[in-house]
Amino acid sequence: MKKNLPYLIPIPISGKEKLLMIMKLALIIVFISVLQVSAKTYSQVTVNMNVQDKSIREVLKTIEQQSEVRFFYSDDLVAMNQTIDVSAENKNIISVLDEIFSGTKLTYKTYDNDLIVIAPREFLLQQVSVTGTITDSETSDPLVGVNVVLEGTTIGVMTDINGKFTLSVPNLTGNLRISYIGYVTQTIPINGMRVIDVSLASDLQALEEVVVTGYGTVRRSDLTGSVSSIKTEQLLQLPTQRVDQAIQGRATGVFILNTDGSPGGNTLIRIRGSNSINGGNDPLIIVDGLQGADINQLNPNDIASMEILKDASATAIYGSRGANGVILITTKLGNTGKPVIDAGYSIGLQKLARKLPVMDAASFAKYNNWYHSFDTQDGQTPKYYFTDADIAYYEQNGGTDWQDEVYKLGVMQTANLAISGATDKLKYMVSSGYLDHEGILLNSQYSRFSMRANLAADITKWVDFGLNYSYTSEIYKSPPFNANLFTTVNNAPRWAPTEPVYDENGNYWKHRPGYGAPDTWNPVASALETTIENPTYQNNLNMFLNFKLAKGLSLKIMGGGTFSNEYNNRYDNTKTRDGYAMNGVGNISNSFSNLIQNTNILTYDKTAGAHHITFTGVAEELFSSWFGNSMRGQNFLVDQLGTDNMDGAKSVSVDSWRGERALISFMGRINYGLLDKYLLTLSYRADGSSVFGENNKWGYFPSGSVAWRISQEGFLQDSEVVTDLKLRVSYGVTGNQGISPYGSLARLGSGETYRYPYNNGQNLNIGFGISDIANPNLRWESTAQSDIGVDVSLFKGRLTSTIDVYRKVTDDLLMPRQLPDYVGVSNVIDNIGSIENRGLEIMIGGDPVATSKFRWNTSLNYTMNRNEVLDLGPGVEKIGYTPTSGGYSLGSSYMFLEVGQPFGQMKGFKYLGLWGANEDAEARAYGQLPGLPKYADISGPDGVPDGTVNELDKTTIGYGYPDFQIGWTNLVTYSNFELSFLITGAYGQDLFNTLRIRRETYEGTDPKVWNYWTTENQDTDVPARYDGAWVQAQNLTNKYLFGNSSGASSRWVEDASFTRLKTITLAYNFDKTLLTKIGFTKARLYFTGTNLVTITKYSGYDPEIAQFPNNDATIGIDQSVYPTSRMYTFGADFTF
Amino acid sequence: MLSGVLLLLTTRCDKLEEMPSDFVGPDNFFKSPAQVESAFVSSMQRQWGGWQFYDWMGYPEWPSFDDQLYGGDLVIGDETAGGSWTVHYQAIADLNPAIKAIIDGNLGSGVSQETKDQLLAEARFLRAFNYFWLVRLYGDVPLILENTDVTKDEIVRSPVADVYKQIVEDMLFATQNLPEVQPADNNARPNADVARGMLAKVYITMATAPLNATSNYANARDMAKQVIDGGKYSLVSNVEDVFNMDYEFGSEFMWAWHNSEEEYVIEPQIWLPGEMADGWGDVTAEKIWGEAFPEEPRKHAYLLLDDPWFETGTTYLDWWKSAPYIRKYLYDTPDNMLKNVSYQAQPILRYADVLLLFAEADNMVNGPTQAACDAVNQIVNRATGGVPNPADPLFTTAMSKGDFDDAVINQRSLELCFEYDRWFDICRKRILDKVTDPDYLPNYSVDDYLMPIPQKDLRLNDKLTQNPGYTRP
Repeated sequence: MKKNLPYLIPIPISGKEKLLMIMKLALIIVFISVLQVSAKTYSQVTVNMNVQDKSIREVLKTIEQQSEVRFFYSDDLVAMNQTIDVSAENKNIISVLDEIFSGTKLTYKTYDNDLIVIAPREFLLQQVSVTGTITDSETSDPLVGVNVVLEGTTIGVMTDINGKFTLSVPNLTGNLRISYIGYVTQTIPINGMRVIDVSLASDLQALEEVVVTGYGTVRRSDLTGSVSSIKTEQLLQLPTQRVDQAIQGRATGVFILNTDGSPGGNTLIRIRGSNSINGGNDPLIIVDGLQGADINQLNPNDIASMEILKDASATAIYGSRGANGVILITTKLGNTGKPVIDAGYSIGLQKLARKLPVMDAASFAKYNNWYHSFDTQDGQTPKYYFTDADIAYYEQNGGTDWQDEVYKLGVMQTANLAISGATDKLKYMVSSGYLDHEGILLNSQYSRFSMRANLAADITKWVDFGLNYSYTSEIYKSPPFNANLFTTVNNAPRWAPTEPVYDENGNYWKHRPGYGAPDTWNPVASALETTIENPTYQNNLNMFLNFKLAKGLSLKIMGGGTFSNEYNNRYDNTKTRDGYAMNGVGNISNSFSNLIQNTNILTYDKTAGAHHITFTGVAEELFSSWFGNSMRGQNFLVDQLGTDNMDGAKSVSVDSWRGERALISFMGRINYGLLDKYLLTLSYRADGSSVFGENNKWGYFPSGSVAWRISQEGFLQDSEVVTDLKLRVSYGVTGNQGISPYGSLARLGSGETYRYPYNNGQNLNIGFGISDIANPNLRWESTAQSDIGVDVSLFKGRLTSTIDVYRKVTDDLLMPRQLPDYVGVSNVIDNIGSIENRGLEIMIGGDPVATSKFRWNTSLNYTMNRNEVLDLGPGVEKIGYTPTSGGYSLGSSYMFLEVGQPFGQMKGFKYLGLWGANEDAEARAYGQLPGLPKYADISGPDGVPDGTVNELDKTTIGYGYPDFQIGWTNLVTYSNFELSFLITGAYGQDLFNTLRIRRETYEGTDPKVWNYWTTENQDTDVPARYDGAWVQAQNLTNKYLFGNSSGASSRWVEDASFTRLKTITLAYNFDKTLLTKIGFTKARLYFTGTNLVTITKYSGYDPEIAQFPNNDATIGIDQSVYPTSRMYTFGADFTF
Repeated sequence: MLSGVLLLLTTRCDKLEEMPSDFVGPDNFFKSPAQVESAFVSSMQRQWGGWQFYDWMGYPEWPSFDDQLYGGDLVIGDETAGGSWTVHYQAIADLNPAIKAIIDGNLGSGVSQETKDQLLAEARFLRAFNYFWLVRLYGDVPLILENTDVTKDEIVRSPVADVYKQIVEDMLFATQNLPEVQPADNNARPNADVARGMLAKVYITMATAPLNATSNYANARDMAKQVIDGGKYSLVSNVEDVFNMDYEFGSEFMWAWHNSEEEYVIEPQIWLPGEMADGWGDVTAEKIWGEAFPEEPRKHAYLLLDDPWFETGTTYLDWWKSAPYIRKYLYDTPDNMLKNVSYQAQPILRYADVLLLFAEADNMVNGPTQAACDAVNQIVNRATGGVPNPADPLFTTAMSKGDFDDAVINQRSLELCFEYDRWFDICRKRILDKVTDPDYLPNYSVDDYLMPIPQKDLRLNDKLTQNPGYTRP
């Protein structure tokens, strides 16, 4: 028989691979349970034998020879070698087996198809039925899906739609553990009863809800810090494919910025604003204790809970890495009961959420001719690019809509499968997920395959063991996009509609001089002929041993690592703009990185009378290293081979790198509670980091917080209204070490940017030049944060609210200290400057309607953060940035960090509309004419308006960050239907719409250019056009001296406030009674719409999207990134 | 795995020491001739590559204030010319540690004294070249001759005379120690004649404003004469070939900014009008100046007046600014122009310049000599194709000293146009008010002869003074 089940039989293996075996065993148990259908009658099978002193194994072999019956058991079962005597004459097989196993630790279970499984007694027990009904103690409504488990076993079921359960137990002793989310768990002794009805008391306050905090857990009621929690149930209501999307709009204090809309594209997560200029503002992400995870590599289905640590009391425990907030993610483990399989599939269709308006070909041609008809200056004769015949042709046949050419229907598919379960000694969860997303832009795709195995085992009474393993492979493909001229996203809405995609020979159409913007390239060619393929492979593994040393005292030793390989390939073939210039350009880079972490946590927990104290001590070490290499080839002999044949490139340059960093930490924390009323948390952490200067390797981070549970006081204890009321106050210091290593050392730069062809002009010579100077005093950036918060729960939890106010001051900013340029190095990384963030967070949630059939759960959160630069170092009032590349008349800085101003400040010339027909004289004073743009003359050399608009008249023209944002989640349940939706909004932020600079000029494609100013049509923003020769004759002297930054004007800055129906899901949960008949416990069909409705005045692709140009100071620029899509998803989830 | 975890428990603090393995610092470098040469390479790249400065006409920096380039309105803001300041000081910061290392003997005894002297000569020549640029643009400048050190804040501007003294010292050393000929596979590097020619230019600048140390005319003449007498260089006979890419290593180009096939840096679109090959029309000639350029073969070799390549049938009157464009840097193939790449070199020092320097200096010492006339007439004859041109007459000894001088300066303007030379001639001859387009003249002030000291440096160092006519932060 064994030969028929080769994969299911555990093979004896060495101790080293025991772990693997345990996992396999778990899988087998799952598998067998699935196979279980109905037991066949074995009544006709008889056995005939008479043996003495034979092992059970041998006896069973004899029985197998006599009958069709096959036994299935593990070779590892020592008990199978026990010797027995059997005497049977045509006896029924069942009674023979009963006799065989009566004196052993083993038992058996019969299955269909003559299969009998032998296993230790605790795995396969004989059965007596216990039934009962579980109801709500207040409403007496039956409770569906309650877990009923025989304590200390895997035996368990869930209640059906009527609240009923039937549990098969070996005998009528032991205890039933009855648990249900939101209710107090009860343990009932069976005590000989066959019918057990239980009413559960609701636990609306969720007082026993455990919150994961740094290096431990704490009851929510004992929490003294500011922590937002997101539980798995919330994640499942609104299905998302990415974890960052799952956070969006659901937690206060969290700002999520979509930096592009590409499949697998990036987002930025900011918790309570931006603290740092160069140290990085990304929160620390910790998955199952392993630090520094990539949130987008996680399968959202694997997540059990997410905790967002915000105030210093919660984050200081992470010392030098806590300043930007911490996101703690815990992945799932199985629940006691029978093994559960969760399977899900979804398919989503996507389209471009908003198309920018463009002229049709005929209109474009007419406009082009009209525009050029004024070119009479310097004696020119106007040149017309389009003949009347051309225009007639376009009117007849239309032209090309480039956005239709490059955007298509996107398809996203996801599939998930997970198996989980638990025995009393072992919990496990094995899952895999696949996501395939073909984007809306040609040639863009993202796929992610993820796998996870989680295991927790009690090895002995005093040692627990846990393991989390995950593997992710991702492949990202997309044509390049950003404000850089020539990219598809940028060019599609501004390429002339008169131009065809291909010429008559099927080659890509090339731009004709004069026919539209010159610095462009065929958008279809840019998309299809650039190959970008970036695969990433990552393995995460961590394990722990938890030693229970004495009562209340435990030591957890955790070790783990993240191992990633990342490959980037890009080839621009000769049909692309860069490839054409350089006869094919290929870039490859390969990088490898490791992060090894060891964390040792000593916890002591003691309750003595009214005192409850927990002490936590941590010693931790993190070590990361990386290396990589890259190649660049140009001038390829065989275009189609590209980066797969780098040796076919005439010119190849290479680079390589290597680095490492280390962090050693020691931490101590005391949680003290008196009478469950007065709570205190104190922590202190010391961090030694390799990346800082010789003199400042170590940093120290204290924090303290207190909480008062006012509702526990006598005067509120019996209140009908106030169920819970807690006041929290915290203060602490956290750090930021987010700079590259070796920043404190002097360095000579080398590589391409230092090379020059001294060698007869044929090749580049190697150059080494000064790039950095030493700073042995470089140290931490530190953030001191104070927070006051209130948690309120009213009417037995029907209405809850959390309100926090905070102030964070970051000092010693890790920032390039500017050096005079005569030094030869423009700056040195140093600790200078200071930034403040202040904020208010309000969450109000509740269950306005909660009957057994109809339930409405809603939660509204409000987040406000105010950010201000306090200091930028001696002699520095502001630092300017130019986040765009050329082509927009934005040659000098237009984004600024300035003392007294927030991040994301845009500066430029203030646009006042067009000069009116009645302002002829005023306009002429500036060398302008009515109908031409009018800019504010704010200042001059003497601080007063001087009749000239130049550099001195630049003023603030916008702010990139919202004044406040909201998230509103709703879940309405009616019978088997579930409707959930999330509305998000951000208000008061501006976006610099760079694309308009090019779309609304002479070469423009925006239909609004026709709405030009005339004396009859003054209510417009499109400037007038005057005859060139006539204008010259006016002898005007231009006083608008913008230099090379005429684009830096408030004309292009738009209010990007928006309200968006982010997601809406309608789900149907099939009836449980129906499902149990076919062996399912849950089946759910859903339809989700994403980005269906957006209310905004912003005229670009999407107000929510902005490219992140490496610095939080420059957020607020719309840089032609991959646009957002609207998505319709159908999906199904099953549990059985 | 778990045993590995236990091993990790024994944490040691020496792990916090950083031992970089993928870069070096200035203190453990410059130990071989090749390492010293890598500093020269970097110092050149600072000024040239990657859209930094000279590779695209310093656009839109100071060159546009001369009378040749379009848009020279003489509105010189406080932020003007900051790029030049930065790149030249970067180059100096690359060179100083190399100079120190050679002097400190870091190269060791295995390297011959001759090699050491040659390397030192090249390093000092390059440094002097950068200071020559700085002193002409900004006047008094910080004279930094030691390694970069941030802690040192006693930096002040050294007087122009002191800066020139250092330049002359460095360049004289270079004329004596640089090889007469660089190896064939390294001939983009400066040789002794390049140093002599550049020093001649230094001397003639010292002889004129602002120092007006006229005794240097003789020095200039002698240096230029050494180059002429050396006979290694000569004019390319056909004016159409001066910028032909086949002649980038002589006989006329003495020292130039080069490109390689590995990295092109010039985008020809910068020089092309929109009507051709998607040109961007970033840089054009001033219409008046371009139209006044004498009609002769040279005009068509140096200026772009029509379309010789793409059969658009357009002339400069059809183009965006209705002004002649610059042809000097459009000698790569039309195919490359379409691809928007160019591997063309831009001269830093041409033999034509040395002839003109000689003629100017000799005239100022002795009046119009036959030798001076012969030198400059080589250029005129080539420009006109040997056809007498009343608009561009030959020089004669009959001319007055003053007329001769004016004519030489004018000849420099025509011959060396768009080679970063005209602005400095205007400054040292103090003729800005005479040559500027009358439309811009109201903006003229005597302060315009110096560019502003960058605001950033003034802000970070109180001891730096600002040039007159500009503000400090």
